[in-house]
Amino acid sequence: MRVTFTVNGRPQEADDVWEGESLLYVLRERMGLPGSKNACEQGECGSCTVRLDGVPVCSCLVAAGQVQGRRVDTVEGLAGEDGELSAIQQAFVDAGAVQCGFCTPGLLVAADELLEHNPSPSDGDIREALSGNLCRCTGYEKILDAVRLAAARTGQGV
Amino acid sequence: MTATQGRVRPRAIGTPLDRLDGRAKVTGSARYAYEQPVGEPVYLHAVQATVARGRITGIDTEAAAAVPGVLAVLTHRNAPRLADTRDAELAVLQSDAVAFRGQFVGGVVATTSEAARYAASLVRTTYDTQPHDSVLRPDRDDLYAPESVNGGFATDTEQGDVEAALASAAVTVDQTYTTAMNHNNPMEPHTTVAVWNDGELTLYESTQGVHMVRSQVAPLFGLQPDEVHVVSPFVGGGFGSKGTPHAPVVLAAMAARLVPGRAVRFALTRPQMFFVAGYRTPTVQHIRLGADRGGRLTAISVDAVSQTSRIKEFAEQTAVAARMMYAAPHRRTTHRLARLDVPVPSWMRAPGECPGMFAAEVAMDELAEACGLDPVELRIRNEPATDPETGRPFSSRNLVACLREGARRIGWERREQAPRSRREAGHLVGLGVAASVYPVFWMPGSSATVRAGAGGRYTVSIGAADLGTGTWTALAQIAADALEVPVERVELRIGDTAFPPASVAGGSSGITAWGSAVVHAARRLRETYGNAPPDGAEATGETGDNPATERFAMYAFGAQFAEVRVDEETGEVRVPRLVGVFAAGCVINPKTARSQLVGGMTMGLSMALHEESHVDGRLGQVANHDLAEYHIAANADVGDIDVSWIDEDDPHVNPMGSKGIGEIGIVGTAAAVANAAHNATGVRVRDLPITLDKLLGDPGAGNGPAVRRR
Amino acid sequence: MEFLRPATWQEALAAKAEHPTAVPIAGGTDVMVEINFDHRRPDHLLDLNRIAELEEWETGEDTVRLGASVPYSRIMAGLRTELPGLALASHTVASPQIRNRGGVGGNLGTASPAGDAHPALLAGGGAVEAESVRGSRLIPIDDFYTGVKRNALAPDELIRAVHLKKATGPQQFSKVGTRNAMVIAVCAFGIALHPDTRTVRTGIGSAAPTPIRAKAAEEFLAAAMDEAGLWDSGKPVPPAVAKQFADLVSGAANPIDDVRGTATYRRHALGVMARRTLGWTWQQYRDHQGSKSCA
Repeated sequence: MRVTFTVNGRPQEADDVWEGESLLYVLRERMGLPGSKNACEQGECGSCTVRLDGVPVCSCLVAAGQVQGRRVDTVEGLAGEDGELSAIQQAFVDAGAVQCGFCTPGLLVAADELLEHNPSPSDGDIREALSGNLCRCTGYEKILDAVRLAAARTGQGV
Repeated sequence: MTATQGRVRPRAIGTPLDRLDGRAKVTGSARYAYEQPVGEPVYLHAVQATVARGRITGIDTEAAAAVPGVLAVLTHRNAPRLADTRDAELAVLQSDAVAFRGQFVGGVVATTSEAARYAASLVRTTYDTQPHDSVLRPDRDDLYAPESVNGGFATDTEQGDVEAALASAAVTVDQTYTTAMNHNNPMEPHTTVAVWNDGELTLYESTQGVHMVRSQVAPLFGLQPDEVHVVSPFVGGGFGSKGTPHAPVVLAAMAARLVPGRAVRFALTRPQMFFVAGYRTPTVQHIRLGADRGGRLTAISVDAVSQTSRIKEFAEQTAVAARMMYAAPHRRTTHRLARLDVPVPSWMRAPGECPGMFAAEVAMDELAEACGLDPVELRIRNEPATDPETGRPFSSRNLVACLREGARRIGWERREQAPRSRREAGHLVGLGVAASVYPVFWMPGSSATVRAGAGGRYTVSIGAADLGTGTWTALAQIAADALEVPVERVELRIGDTAFPPASVAGGSSGITAWGSAVVHAARRLRETYGNAPPDGAEATGETGDNPATERFAMYAFGAQFAEVRVDEETGEVRVPRLVGVFAAGCVINPKTARSQLVGGMTMGLSMALHEESHVDGRLGQVANHDLAEYHIAANADVGDIDVSWIDEDDPHVNPMGSKGIGEIGIVGTAAAVANAAHNATGVRVRDLPITLDKLLGDPGAGNGPAVRRR
Repeated sequence: MEFLRPATWQEALAAKAEHPTAVPIAGGTDVMVEINFDHRRPDHLLDLNRIAELEEWETGEDTVRLGASVPYSRIMAGLRTELPGLALASHTVASPQIRNRGGVGGNLGTASPAGDAHPALLAGGGAVEAESVRGSRLIPIDDFYTGVKRNALAPDELIRAVHLKKATGPQQFSKVGTRNAMVIAVCAFGIALHPDTRTVRTGIGSAAPTPIRAKAAEEFLAAAMDEAGLWDSGKPVPPAVAKQFADLVSGAANPIDDVRGTATYRRHALGVMARRTLGWTWQQYRDHQGSKSCA
């Protein structure tokens, strides 16, 4: 089947999509957007987190056909057109929140959504928002630091 | 001063440089193995054995081959014959024998991954099933002693007269400890993209060592090493499971041979990672300690049992840390293996030390309790002057400083010596301590090339790996200091066999081995060309030998402390605080180093509380083979982790003075948590993981006859 | 495989009638796992995402008609007052990403004993609105779970909504897991006080082949509280009564040993959760009584 939807603000189309195919697969294999990672295929790790009509979801659990006509935002859409990193991306680099990088895209999308609707989250809010994203390298500490850092910088208008 | 000796003057070294691969990773543009652009790829999906032991009597591929898009169905009947089948784990599809459940018995290549997966499910295999034996039990009569254990260490050691010393000891501990089977579970599943062109094989591989893959894969296919090209710039974690090739890379290379010129993409699914990508063996450790009334050890005895597979031996070096950790005149260690119908065990972060130090450090806590001593003090009293095993001096050993600093940081003085003495908000609260150790391995065999470019820039090439550890950054810092230029003027190239050979990222030896080669190359360049080398000037250096390894015992040490809160009624455990203090030589990059240590401790916490691969003995497989049921610590499980290190200047280990920090963080964490849980509840958990039901046990139940005081 | 994309509820019912083996997919959090793992390859997937009314709820005099696909995250945020037990349970479902997609209809359709919504649904009381082209019916929640991962739906039926009694008293939900987030329950317990009928209802998850109520415990507690006049006096529940209630809850369970926990542990933990949640809800009831009498 054919599926058409908007990815990072651009209309995209995929043909010959298998009916059981996930949004994750379509993004990675058909649209050349491998930033969202495939690590468990069962919604247990959050590595494939994207926003569907603004809401964070595991793209491995969304059937491609369900996305028809909808809006999807992925890690590839976070930086500016000029390549300038967004506040949360820059904070991840600065705080040392990145190690192997495989969980990073999903965490960035989840954290970006948090900061969008809650610009000064409490530690509890951050933990809650990121509770669906597993990381095997960092121990999470620097990831929480990065979100705090991004919130602080954004709050100061930096 | 030769090129491999003499310290590098630290300038970039020691600074918290931001990760140089950070930008690529936060924008989603870092290309991991699966994502390498390879034209129009095809896809491979594996067929796995559904019995734990037997022979394949029939394999019907007709339905699979008929699925639209299927290009080939591989089975043992039509698979390419390998030139070398001595490594049974890598001898994929070479016979009809099934040695463990989940073993590859076939594979389907198709134009889409969906077609490959579907067709793989249609392959019908029949078996002549034989009885299998897949659960480790220590009371079997066919345990055997391997020739040596992992790392080339002696299987058994004995000094003095342990039995006599134990018999006459004022205080003894005699207990058995078990650690669970664990699966590494890096976030990135094991991935190979394989393509054959003109008889040569290119592998985009998720690996801890490109040259290691080349050297092991080439002979399988009858190729010269330089006919195998391995590319691996970004790796999504490995923790040992990508430290040696497993069956998937062989299956992918075989499949690719059937479609020459086309790349075959093969990523394991998460469930498949529980069958064919290595794991940490469960261990059973019988520990006996003898001490005088003041807690000074007179005897240490460790008998460790672990499992190996029937087709290939892997001997976890569980007891090696007990050989050097504490002073005691009488000591013995043994390793025995049970040969089971199970997947081949492999490396997982700090193999040997990690499970071994759980048991040893809980035993030390039991000894402290039996002697009425503070457990920190007990360890200090047993600090050896020289390596008890070899008699050599330590190149540096700062365990005591780590213990004291850690005690200060956690507020050890608030710890009640008597268990079950502290209650806060309905929770039992306790503090625990354990020591950490990890050897400094000297891994020879790496070379690096430094090439001068225009404008005072340098390109440094070495086939090293960055699994998320920080190699891209730390190695650039080392190169900059060795060349005495700012780090911005160094361009590092790693992760490709096109670059000079590098040893595997394992044994916490990567930065020390590769860094030594880089330093050597930089010094050679300077020796030959001076400070203004012409554009294109080049020099190559090697890791070489370090004669000091013959004169000194070289280890990193650490002390870990845990605060544990236990719900008295449900047994739910929370670990709000962990403190780790390490003495690991020179820290190349404090930012990436801290992440490594915090991450190691978190994995140790995860091992303590969550991780257990449950083997279903009837089926002969891990029952909880996915991330829904195999739990690793989530961020809500991790509290405050306070990591620090003491300044340690070790002139002997290598030109940077660094000791390696990838593994020591996980060593001792689980023991600190278990000891804190005992301090909180009075329940001694000797079997990992510390699940809810275990902490509801009878307080003090385990402290009966097995601890003796005279 | 065919992907059916009905635009309306009537179209969905017609599609289900035509293809009774079609697998409905809304949040996808169960169905897609099975497809991804190739455990299931249905001939037809029936996408319900386009049917807006499934993601809405209506609040009536005494009940809430909760659309089958209202995501857990919206139940947590929007129905805390009307359905406090379900809101609490929703908060423990998997992860934020899953809660943004999954809804009660999926939990009911799958009917796993570990589904987090079930104990709250059983304790709160209500009925499942099942519909087919043949018509609509309300299946009392007590009759809905018929076996391990089996329910009372006919092959041509879809879940339109659940009709849940608005809380008339405090409700609680408690779950024990081996991890702090993204955890399948070792066991779970829901309790709802119903002051209007002077009854207490319960729900037990992950401790029997299906989600169940602890009816003997409910009956004992109702009788004991009646006898002691506690609903009127608002006095504390005597510890002996709480203990007996807890023991009866433990006894109602029929758990197994599995990788998540032992049967013995599950019974024990259920007793602890029963006693604790009874204490919490009763305290809330007393506080409420107190504030009413002050006013």
